Amino acid sequence: TIQTMELSGTEWKEGRKYTRNLVDSGNGKFNLMILCWGEGHGSSIHDHTDSHCFMKILQGNLKETLFEWPEKKMNGEMTKKSERVLRENQCAYINDSIGLHRVENISHTETAVSLHLYSPPFDTCNTFDQRTGHKHKVTMTFYSQFGERTVCVSTG
Amino acid sequence: MELELESEPEPEAELAAELSARRSAEARRLVLSPRRLLGPLPAGLSQWFRAGGGTSGTGLAEMGTELLSLPCLHTLLAKNNRLGGPGSLPKGLGQAPLARSLRVLNLSGNRFAEVPPALLRLRGLRSLSLGGNRLHGIPPDIQELHSLEFLYLGGNFITAIPPELAKLPSLRYLVLCDNKIQSIPPQLAQLDSLRSLSLHNNLLTYLPREILNLVHLEELSLRGNPLVVRFVRDLTYNPPSLQELAGRTVKTRNVPYAPSDLPESLVRYLSLASNCPNPKCGGVYFDSCVRQIKFVDFCGKYRLPLMHYLCSPECSSPFSSASQSSTSQSESDSEDEASVAAHRMQKVLLG
Repeated sequence: TIQTMELSGTEWKEGRKYTRNLVDSGNGKFNLMILCWGEGHGSSIHDHTDSHCFMKILQGNLKETLFEWPEKKMNGEMTKKSERVLRENQCAYINDSIGLHRVENISHTETAVSLHLYSPPFDTCNTFDQRTGHKHKVTMTFYSQFGERTVCVSTG
Repeated sequence: MELELESEPEPEAELAAELSARRSAEARRLVLSPRRLLGPLPAGLSQWFRAGGGTSGTGLAEMGTELLSLPCLHTLLAKNNRLGGPGSLPKGLGQAPLARSLRVLNLSGNRFAEVPPALLRLRGLRSLSLGGNRLHGIPPDIQELHSLEFLYLGGNFITAIPPELAKLPSLRYLVLCDNKIQSIPPQLAQLDSLRSLSLHNNLLTYLPREILNLVHLEELSLRGNPLVVRFVRDLTYNPPSLQELAGRTVKTRNVPYAPSDLPESLVRYLSLASNCPNPKCGGVYFDSCVRQIKFVDFCGKYRLPLMHYLCSPECSSPFSSASQSSTSQSESDSEDEASVAAHRMQKVLLG
């Protein structure tokens, strides 16, 4: 069991933050992190770099939309496979063979918090443009690590 | 001092006791989201607010005049209630101490069909949320909230954005997602402090090219808009009127004129000249122009359709290195000033 980690509250509650907060790096075998979603905030469509990804909703609701991998040519709107709303305490799992997904907090009144486990850990992934399937590699950063705010390093 | 009445499903008695123990004229923060109140609002509370409707306590319909006596209230959170009808906000709000002290107001998840005019008197407001209401528009007088840094209007029925919104000098976060917005006024590029602009799930087909001027923008969400991916050139072109042609000549040849030389209406007309964005042209236009969409690479990730207006079909976009013939339909990639401007954006959440 993981001890409750207190995230610096006011800053992200009243602003609009999408923050990734690393809780445990499992001796290099996994990354465990808490994501905080402001109202209306969502992620890009992304893959999971050949890793297993578990997600549990700790607070609020998150909508998960699954997409097919785009064709090699990347020439048209990406195909939606399914969508669902995950409620508090629900879990979800995804890996690259299942597909790609977008996760969003669609509430305009409530923030959401989710717990993510990635094994093995990864810090780059691809994001996809829904209109064209065009992909773009990104590096993910942490807003905080082990309860300490991460000093911002510009990655360009 | 902070007075919080969170929406915990507490028994009525406890809530009333907490209220009388903590109520103070120095209250700075009042959180009232009684979605989960199980019984009628306790007597102590009703001295502060009048609840509309029955005794089930399902949500406030009006905020009472007791709010006006709080001398230094800083934060008021009243989301997920039934506010929105006339009288939701107490009369005299503009003259109350609240009008100067309030910094944060959250009215999300209510039933406001318009931004209540009284709200615009809260001149010290830094953060306003009206997400998840029933707004059809944004009043131009929103510019009166000149301290506003955070404005959340997502999840309404807004169809257009008034250019006056751009007059908010401190605005950093602007959320307009999940509305019915069809176009963005180019004046929005004047929001010099803007860090985050949320436009996803609207009805945008293109953006004004001026959006590249938002040099401090770090986040931009555009998914779920019918942005054109291919531009079909608009072949209709209304030739300019004689007045327009004369106006163009006056402007481009710098023909001197004084207000006494011309009727007031023509002086005003001449002041409305827009510059043709083609740097090789240097011309102006008034009402007669050609719309053209150019696709600009955004941070090397996406091609965004940016709309700009040229003075004639023969003019070419500044985004292409060579002038194009009027029959050409090529979509040029980012060049010169466009790509430089686009690279300033650090993170684009087109997703």
